[in-house]
Amino acid sequence: MSAGIIVVRHLYHTYQTGALSKAALVDINLEIEAGSCVAIIGVTGSGKSTLVQHFNGLLRPTQGSVVVDGIDVGARSADLLALRRRVGMLFQFPEAQLFAPTVYADVAFGPQRMGISRREVRVRVFNALDTVGLPHQQYAGRSPYDLSGGQMRRAALAGVLAMSPSILVLDEPTVGLDAEGHAEFYSYLQRIQREQGVTIVLVTHDMTEVAHLADRLFILHDGQLVMQGTPRTLFAEVEQLRNWGLAAPPLSELLAALRAQGMAIPASVFTLDEAFDAFIQDQVEIH
Amino acid sequence: MSIAHTPLIDIQKIVYTYPQQKKDEVDGLASSAVLREVDLRVMQGEYVVLLGHNGSGKSTLARHCNALLLPDSGRVLIDGQDSRDVAKQRRIRESVGMIFQNPDNQIIATVVEDDIAWALTVRGLAVDIIRERVATVMEAVGISELRQLQPSKLSGGQRQRVAIAGVLALRPRCIIADEATSMLDPLSRREITGLLHQLHEEYGLTIMQVTHLLEEAALAERVVIMEQGKIILDGPPEVILRDIERLRELKLALPEPLQLAVRLREAGVSISPAALTIEAIVEELVH
Repeated sequence: MSAGIIVVRHLYHTYQTGALSKAALVDINLEIEAGSCVAIIGVTGSGKSTLVQHFNGLLRPTQGSVVVDGIDVGARSADLLALRRRVGMLFQFPEAQLFAPTVYADVAFGPQRMGISRREVRVRVFNALDTVGLPHQQYAGRSPYDLSGGQMRRAALAGVLAMSPSILVLDEPTVGLDAEGHAEFYSYLQRIQREQGVTIVLVTHDMTEVAHLADRLFILHDGQLVMQGTPRTLFAEVEQLRNWGLAAPPLSELLAALRAQGMAIPASVFTLDEAFDAFIQDQVEIH
Repeated sequence: MSIAHTPLIDIQKIVYTYPQQKKDEVDGLASSAVLREVDLRVMQGEYVVLLGHNGSGKSTLARHCNALLLPDSGRVLIDGQDSRDVAKQRRIRESVGMIFQNPDNQIIATVVEDDIAWALTVRGLAVDIIRERVATVMEAVGISELRQLQPSKLSGGQRQRVAIAGVLALRPRCIIADEATSMLDPLSRREITGLLHQLHEEYGLTIMQVTHLLEEAALAERVVIMEQGKIILDGPPEVILRDIERLRELKLALPEPLQLAVRLREAGVSISPAALTIEAIVEELVH
């Protein structure tokens, strides 16, 4: 197995101590490969946010270890500043954090504090804006508040990208956007992964979002890692997922319901095209 | 007799431009109006889904239905009362209750039952009436066991139920749910949509559900689609959701099970166009 860019071993996290103590994470072990896109999935309170807050040192392990891009997050000597430059975080509704008078000033805020030349800052800001589909000639001078919801969110993503992180952690990045906004956001994100080799960690409660995007899924329930694998293998477990309060993508649910009615649809069928082929070419028995 | 034929919501040729855009705009109506001569009638007891992508004007239209916004021209009659008549606005807001995307924006108290009682308290109702009504609405939305909890400790779906209960306590004739499910995970989303349908069936409440999700539209009696400030389609879901190409042009994503059904039908498999939900499609394919 190749060494992961994020390696979590026997991680426990407990909020507070004494009588009020609550175990938020219990014995988590996982490895995330460099350059991959993974999703951490679970309902509210499952521990997913607690887990990813260890990835940039916002939280330290109560027990166990988290090593991110060679930095041991739990070590007293850990260089948190270096860690936070390598791990970009985008929280829910990041547009609420846009504050500057122009898109340029907003995206430049981070890199300007990295001790790099103004010229270098400018190059980075322009590149980041171009990467997220806000061509700098057109958007750099505009007020962030004149952008549409989807554009504001991509401007916030550009602000993180301009720091040149090697890992991007995104918490529910498309909540509240419409179908087009979702599709756009994810197409730019895929491009970032492909062209810049950035490792992407998505945090979500909506598995449909990540069905065709993530290489690997990690499912958390009550602070424990209960399942991991590719979307294809996990989404076949519709019933099991529902027990954890999660809904498989609607197509997986349809296929599971048909199988439950006795239709011979192979377990390997996962995409719309595969399902169509299973019915038409392979002549699944339709009564 | 005549009362039964009066629409509960009667929107006549309304035009609306947000004040900020009005100020920015030099050449008037044409380019910045969010609503452009919209007509819509909703009868008592209907379940209407108002569909459109972000920026189509659907939320702005919804906010005209309880006098949160007033039209620049044209008029809105709620149960025959003109929304511009200040003396009628309180009654209008009592008969048309609204819930929003983020329930936290309308939850104010620190204990669930106090929050639901709040609007009744400020209206000076007797304590035992308040107590009885609060108990009834909590029962109706399924949160009786949460009554002593802090709203901040609840999940998104539970908080949305609290918001619905708070609106129900005023005994409205209509509830408008403005993107009320879009911040929720898929299972909670279905639960809240299910609750709205249940309130519609059990109490004959008129429901207007504002959404960009076609799976929610599939369950309605009537689907109204907005685009660029105008209503462009209005009809039952089995008619409206048939035209995939059109919906795609409107940036509305058809759920995959429906796409599969459409493709199979085109390939000659007999599936009724009225089968719009997973259950209905399974039924069609199995029998």
